[in-house]
Amino acid sequence: MELQFDRGPEGGFAVGTLDALINLGRKHSEWYLLFGTACCAIELMQTGGPRTDADRFGMVFRPTPRQADVMILAGTITYKMASRIRRLYDQMAEPKYVIAMGSCANVGGPFYDSYAVVKGGDLIVPVDVYLAGCPPRPEALLEGLMLIQQKMEREPFFAKASGKLPPPADPWPASARGGAV
Amino acid sequence: MTPVEIKDRLVQVVGEPVEWQAGPADAAFVVAPEKWYAAALALRDLPELDFAFLRTLCGVDRPAANCIEVVAHLFSYKHKHAFVLKTRVGRQAPRLATVSSVWPAANWHERETYDLFGVSFDGHPDLRRLLLPEDWVGHPLCKDYQEPPSYQGIPMMRPARPAMETKG
Amino acid sequence: MSFDLATVLGFVVVSGGLLWVLLLVSRLVRPSAPGAVKESAYECGELPFGPAWFNFNSRFYVVALVFVAFDVQVALAIPVAVVLRGLLAGPDAGFAFAGFFGYLGLMMLTLAYVWRRGDLSWVRDMTRPVGGSRPAGVVAKPEVA
Repeated sequence: MELQFDRGPEGGFAVGTLDALINLGRKHSEWYLLFGTACCAIELMQTGGPRTDADRFGMVFRPTPRQADVMILAGTITYKMASRIRRLYDQMAEPKYVIAMGSCANVGGPFYDSYAVVKGGDLIVPVDVYLAGCPPRPEALLEGLMLIQQKMEREPFFAKASGKLPPPADPWPASARGGAV
Repeated sequence: MTPVEIKDRLVQVVGEPVEWQAGPADAAFVVAPEKWYAAALALRDLPELDFAFLRTLCGVDRPAANCIEVVAHLFSYKHKHAFVLKTRVGRQAPRLATVSSVWPAANWHERETYDLFGVSFDGHPDLRRLLLPEDWVGHPLCKDYQEPPSYQGIPMMRPARPAMETKG
Repeated sequence: MSFDLATVLGFVVVSGGLLWVLLLVSRLVRPSAPGAVKESAYECGELPFGPAWFNFNSRFYVVALVFVAFDVQVALAIPVAVVLRGLLAGPDAGFAFAGFFGYLGLMMLTLAYVWRRGDLSWVRDMTRPVGGSRPAGVVAKPEVA
């Protein structure tokens, strides 16, 4: 649902639902969590750099999950890191999204046969967008963030806020987790 | 000093080696596990050797020879010579004296060797896993390591999923 | 005068009201899904341990105190500096002169006091006496038990 803009010679007006208005604000201030585990994090940093400027879309990095909308799983996920990633995801406030960036976060990547590597971020947190690449170029990550923008546009914000949209399926529920660490 | 000269000087302190591997690559002095600590001290403290820098310390699992080899690569900034010191410990409950009091870098290297091979170092101040989670079972770089089917509920193999349908 | 005050009052009402409106609208619109993990302390993904409170170095207190003293003095001196030229040309020139430069002298006195005490250096010089009239180098005799 988009706002319908009617531009006249001296300005104009926009018509739409409240959902559209709120989603307009949400999608132009997509704040991602400043978090990366391996080489994809370098490409993540470059996406915020001058050539592929993510800041012009309103996407700034936030170091704390409380202020972040998107978590980008940039890099290989090890079993030791899995519980920390899950805790960071739990500490983010709704509405939140996850992008799996690169082969390692998609399926375990080139390190699939390793004993220490989790075979994909979606075994830990529910993922919204998968990006192929090793590493994906900054333009590809920007495309992924724009896909999240399109997802935000399609979502009826009030249905999500009021709980009518069910939350995504939890791939790693607390009951399955063993110890605390 | 050439490796042979270093070996001759070391032999004066710890006696003949179990094996002297003088190949085209780094020459290695294989010492018995009981003399590991004495050899380390001698290599560091003798002024003509002066191996103050431990480059790395790690393990090699050799099931054919039924031993785990612990390898230490040393370097001397003063004399610009390098050396390799090895020892062989048994594969069942392997133990070795720690050299973390000789070279502080050995602290984490020995933790890694314990984590991945199971070699426990006597006298180590903080012997616990370094790279793997604290409650991991098994020592992965041993050749007879079996992966558990899952860790804390996360499966070790990616479950087969139906192919996603693509739009457009 | 009264119109200006009414403007200020209007400003206060609008800004305060806007604050409440924004907070109220946010509260009604946003999703709320509290949970134990979500509200736990953030420690980069680790389980938090240890207390979050610790003692600050007391140097910061001294710096803040000195700052407050001089900041207030500067804030009061700036308007005087603007009008001083006009006052010195007028009938109360002597009074203005004495007042302003007395004030300046007081500021210098404060500076001299703080400087002499050694509070201006970040690393305190432990060989100098603090306050007191005892000259440096003379150590008080220890009490004989």
